[in-house]
Amino acid sequence: MISYDHLTKIFGEGQDAVTALEDVTFTIEKGETVIFLGPSGCGKTTTLRLTNRLESITRGSIKVNGQNIMEMDAVQLRRQMGYVIQDIGLFPNKTIAENIAVVPKLLEWPKAKIQDRVDELLTMVRLDPQIYRNRYPAELSGGQQQRVGVARGLAADPEILLMDEPFGAIDPINREEIQDEFLKLQEDLKKTIAFVSHDIHEAIKMGDRIALFEKGRLVQYEKPEILLTQPKNKYVSDFVGADRALKVLGIIRVGDMYNPNPKNTVQGSNSAQSVLNSMEQRKDNFCIVLDQGKPAGYVTKKMVKYEEGPVREVAEKFPVHLRDRSPARDALSFMLMYDFLTLCVVDSRGNFKGTLTYDDIQTTIRESYASELEHQKEGQNEHTEIHS
Amino acid sequence: MSTLKFILNNYNNVLFLMWEHIYMVGISLLIATAIGVPLGIIITKNENLARKVINSANIMMTVPSIALFGLMMPALALIGQGLGKVPAIIALILYSQLPIIRNTYVAIKNVSPSIRNAGKGMGMNRWELLKEVEIPIAIPVIVAGLRTAAVMNIGIAAIAAYVGAGGLGVYIQNGIDRVYPEMILAGALLVSIFAILVDASMALLERVLTPTGLQVQKRLSQ
Repeated sequence: MISYDHLTKIFGEGQDAVTALEDVTFTIEKGETVIFLGPSGCGKTTTLRLTNRLESITRGSIKVNGQNIMEMDAVQLRRQMGYVIQDIGLFPNKTIAENIAVVPKLLEWPKAKIQDRVDELLTMVRLDPQIYRNRYPAELSGGQQQRVGVARGLAADPEILLMDEPFGAIDPINREEIQDEFLKLQEDLKKTIAFVSHDIHEAIKMGDRIALFEKGRLVQYEKPEILLTQPKNKYVSDFVGADRALKVLGIIRVGDMYNPNPKNTVQGSNSAQSVLNSMEQRKDNFCIVLDQGKPAGYVTKKMVKYEEGPVREVAEKFPVHLRDRSPARDALSFMLMYDFLTLCVVDSRGNFKGTLTYDDIQTTIRESYASELEHQKEGQNEHTEIHS
Repeated sequence: MSTLKFILNNYNNVLFLMWEHIYMVGISLLIATAIGVPLGIIITKNENLARKVINSANIMMTVPSIALFGLMMPALALIGQGLGKVPAIIALILYSQLPIIRNTYVAIKNVSPSIRNAGKGMGMNRWELLKEVEIPIAIPVIVAGLRTAAVMNIGIAAIAAYVGAGGLGVYIQNGIDRVYPEMILAGALLVSIFAILVDASMALLERVLTPTGLQVQKRLSQ
């Protein structure tokens, strides 16, 4: 846990004094990733550099697990925190293994333990130790170097990780990949992370919470979905962008909005005519056919009108199924791409869990803007009932 | 041909003068390194001091060597060392300072800020950062400074013969006085060969001392 208390930082003195940070107060909970977000010069990097005392505090205090960092030895403090920066800053004169081993070596770990840890970390960041252990930074691509940078930050298994635009210098395709990998890592590691970024997309993707800065002040400190749906002022809404509805789609998961008990399902063994009847009763033109708990396809009135046998024989297969974890954005994209208004949600074994319709998505988005988050959840439940 | 004969005929004397030359240049380079490299590192922390130190070293270098011997003579005469090896070695040390200090300063300053930032942020103290990162990265440029100083000093040491310091300059000086072309040429030739040899071996040293990682980096960037 890191708590910032009325933190102020002024660079320079007298006439040249520049206030980089003014009266900033917030807390990063243990195991959470907090993104320090904002344009350049907003104070986000200063806040990070104050955390490991690379800069000195003018006023206020920072506490790490309740202990004031000014009462700790600066060098010891830094060794307790992983540090990953945009320019990576690998030491060109050292091998990859030696680079990763810097902090463990400073902490005087035994040699064998360091060696094991290096191999473990290289494997963790998906670089084969056999191949990369004895290479030099110059022999690695930018993405690989940044993986090593992350491994180096994690080397001594610090509870806290400070990351200063760690993926900023990597090309967009590799950045996505390394972000995904890092998210997966963090699921297991549960580090407390302070992460500086100027990219709203990255912030939404990586952050449990976002601290949005403007000219040295903390404007809003919230969960990403709340920042998007309830921006505190014009600065925030401008910063998150006019397309924030689309960004919300990236956060909301299919699992949050699908309908687990849709009425328009039939068993594959039912006869085509009985399905036609039930469709006519419900004044519906679309029916999902299930077979042994798995979605076998769909039928429309036209398809079953002149058929006799079981409905599974005429059902058309869906082009794609959704998973709980898929973001709403992907679901919407499939709907537009394949021209479907309803798609099935399945579990990892392909068993039918429910359906997601275009209306479900739209309602969820609309409601998320209309009310508080707690409200929002109730809203979603109501809404699923309406549609079932 | 006659020059070669002269060298062969005075084999013992040639070896002795050569040894004197090596001794002067070697000892002055060692002392100059011991002063210049730490000084070059220290001034990276203080821009103001850096300017003053480098300017002083610059001025030192502009004083012609023969004039410097003249200037030092009355001062050193007070301790009875106005002539001989002592003024020569002091002059060589002073002349070496500029290339050594400047190269050290520039090399350390040129270590990328992100590398320094990363090291500091990971909890390296000043000394650890110097020893583990900054000096290894700076070493090729520092050795290049030593190389310049060494080669330059071989030439200046030849002039030191005028203050009775010995060395191969003795042949040039005596040869001119006695209008003895073989002697002049022998001195000049030997000093030149010596300078070329030292330059080549310092180049080799530079390569040997460059960390493998930096060699790899250089090779890949070509």
